[in-house]
Amino acid sequence: MAPSQKSRRALEGIRILDFTWVVAGPVAVRILADQGAEVIKIERRDTLDLGTRRGGFSGNLHRGKESTVVNMADPRGIEIAQKLAAISDVVVDNFSARVMRNWGLDYDSLKKIKPDIIAVSMSGFGHTGPHKDYVSYGPTLQALSGYTLQMRHPGHEPAGWGYSYADMTGGYSGALAVLMALWHRKQTGQGQFVDLAQFEAISSLVGPGLLDILNNQTPSEPVGNRSQEAPAAPHGVYRCKGDDRWCAVAVFTDAEWQSLCRVLGQPAWTREARFASLADRLQHQDALDGYIEAWTQQHTAEEVMSCLQEAGIAAGVVANGEDLDRDPQLRARGYWAQLPAQENGKPVLSGVEGTEDIILDGPPFKLSKTPGHVAAPGPLLGEHTDSVLRRLFNYSDQQIAHLKAERVIASHAEIHAERSAQD
Amino acid sequence: MTALAGLRILDLTDLKGAMCAKLFGDMGADVIKIEPPAGDATRRIGPFLDDQPHPERSLLFWFYNTSKRGITLDLNQPAGQELAKQLAAKADVLVESAAPGTLAQLGLGYDELKQINPNLVLTSITPFGQTGPYRSYRSSDMVAEALGGMIWTNGFPDEPPLHAMGLQAYHSAAFFAAIGTLLALLTRDSLGEGQWVDVSIQEAVAGAVEHIAPFYHQGLGIESRRGSLHWSRYFRVARCRDGYVMHCSLGDWTSLVEWVKGDGKAQDLEDTRWEDLVYRREHAEHLFDILDDWAKDYSVAELMEGAQLRRIPYAMVRPPEALVDDPQLNDRGFFSTIEHPELGRTVRYPGGPIHFTATPWRIARRPPLLGEHNTEVYGNELGLEADRLSALKQAGVI
Repeated sequence: MAPSQKSRRALEGIRILDFTWVVAGPVAVRILADQGAEVIKIERRDTLDLGTRRGGFSGNLHRGKESTVVNMADPRGIEIAQKLAAISDVVVDNFSARVMRNWGLDYDSLKKIKPDIIAVSMSGFGHTGPHKDYVSYGPTLQALSGYTLQMRHPGHEPAGWGYSYADMTGGYSGALAVLMALWHRKQTGQGQFVDLAQFEAISSLVGPGLLDILNNQTPSEPVGNRSQEAPAAPHGVYRCKGDDRWCAVAVFTDAEWQSLCRVLGQPAWTREARFASLADRLQHQDALDGYIEAWTQQHTAEEVMSCLQEAGIAAGVVANGEDLDRDPQLRARGYWAQLPAQENGKPVLSGVEGTEDIILDGPPFKLSKTPGHVAAPGPLLGEHTDSVLRRLFNYSDQQIAHLKAERVIASHAEIHAERSAQD
Repeated sequence: MTALAGLRILDLTDLKGAMCAKLFGDMGADVIKIEPPAGDATRRIGPFLDDQPHPERSLLFWFYNTSKRGITLDLNQPAGQELAKQLAAKADVLVESAAPGTLAQLGLGYDELKQINPNLVLTSITPFGQTGPYRSYRSSDMVAEALGGMIWTNGFPDEPPLHAMGLQAYHSAAFFAAIGTLLALLTRDSLGEGQWVDVSIQEAVAGAVEHIAPFYHQGLGIESRRGSLHWSRYFRVARCRDGYVMHCSLGDWTSLVEWVKGDGKAQDLEDTRWEDLVYRREHAEHLFDILDDWAKDYSVAELMEGAQLRRIPYAMVRPPEALVDDPQLNDRGFFSTIEHPELGRTVRYPGGPIHFTATPWRIARRPPLLGEHNTEVYGNELGLEADRLSALKQAGVI
């Protein structure tokens, strides 16, 4: 469906000036871009391209945003950024406090150009406190907040997440911060500064275990694959037929246990007294795991999932990238955004190799009347420099050419030509 | 001042959605948690305060239910459904996490609720969403983490993949649900009505995994788990004298090499090829093996402090108990101490995800006792007479 045929989106009319880079900040802003916010992304001319910018990792981070290359080392560049801030609702950055202050774009300065501005800074540790200047990335914040050490099998080495979950929690916290601040502005007319610390965002999600530590002084333990919600046994990730194929299975109640025994064909071990009650099964989980895995290894992960689900038992394939792409549920709900690279044999997007369509993640929730959608893939570096300045400030061709000649701004064509000449 | 003052949220969720309503309550909304007369199931699940199992001592219930008032209501009785409609008539948001179709069977589906209160936002948090072939499938936090792609990324290649610490599928869904709810509230005036927000926990997990789907869709195949080595290959855990540290090969490379060289452990790291980020990524195993040999004689604290002084983002790999005395969290007031008068003591709670300056995050009240606000809500606010209240109580409706 062409964008024009789609219904309006919730954040149409909201303009966000986006100074963020790497992951958490871009995630926050892309959540809002999916919902129709107009996002003007200020980028450096020498931004390192991590693979294609249209799709893949980078495209997924920046989908639906407009890339504007402005030289913030030039006072005229700063002036353009300030003019953009003056007509924006929200300014987002993930720098330490010093950077935005040097550009005259910190909250106190912004407030003078736009009294009801919402400024969200998404630093690692926040703008105050003894560690405000510490440097961090998602994986180091996961380590500091206790996850990496305890995400391991008991007696084994710490593993943690294989990716930067803390960037995702920082990201969705940032998006929520913007929306709560917009709601507050709608009620009171007041903007505000949000000093979001990604360390606090991930630390707020440790959960009841941290209450236990704070008030009972209970030492934490490796979590392995045991239930952290209601007691459940069996509860684990079991090896299935095939190479590195797994299925997660969670059996909470006696009724579910009886169903499981029927699916397994009621072998003699299921009647052993040590597995009779949930309390018994919890006590003998390791032995139980051995029996369950002996069964799951004879079946594919998909078979294990479907026959357990048919029996009313929570089970799910441990999905890899290919499984996610093929997942019938995600497909049925239209989770993936598919953006055509070509139409009638002609490329509609530059910077796309081959003829494959671009597949990106979509918003993970649906609003009944104003559903979000991905309106465009990731922008090329400087793709929208000219169009943003023309649209918002009526810059003439001569003004734009002059600013380019003075290296205050750059569009994709010049950057591309310059980089090709260097190669 | 709070950001969400004046908003009323009805919280009909179980564990899957309780965090969503907490996010609203801690930011100033008036959240009313509606429990069945026997109490929310999490009240009977530990950990418990002082390890004493009791429905008013569950830390699982407490963590997810701060800043909420609490009432009881049996939705299986017609009188209970009637009261739910009266409550919905005066609310901005109803957030629920029952299986798809459950609310409609009780006469409380979106179409019915819209008749009562066109402005109402209904937010439904379910394992797979309201539509699709899996909509009636069973799930759990771990199963959702599996089907959303999170578990695949965690653990060593020769071990089973790992569930996350904390109920991160539910947490991710709660945040996306809160985001969706606010979007519906922000559009309420211009649309002239509320909306139904349909949140799939599986999708929320997929939306909080950064790399495996994009890699696959970019034609880079299946990206597998690599133990503590991050997919970018710029981070890996090392064992040092008294624990573990997280290496990071981003940051000030020259300073790192100077430091390692000063200890006589640089091996080939002085080679200028290592200045290239791509080279560091492609030879990460070799790089981290050299750094492991250097780090093993240091203490965790020496490495973290030494690295941060040099603008290198190293971090201690420490247990969550280290958060309690963390100087940064404490300086910023992350923890709060809340009175639990019926226990004659205070309880310390961790803080929220967002540091607003004009409208601070705070815990407005300790989690509710079972039915604590029945009289306040049904009597004072809905205007039910005392004899009607006691009749409802006798019938087991509240």
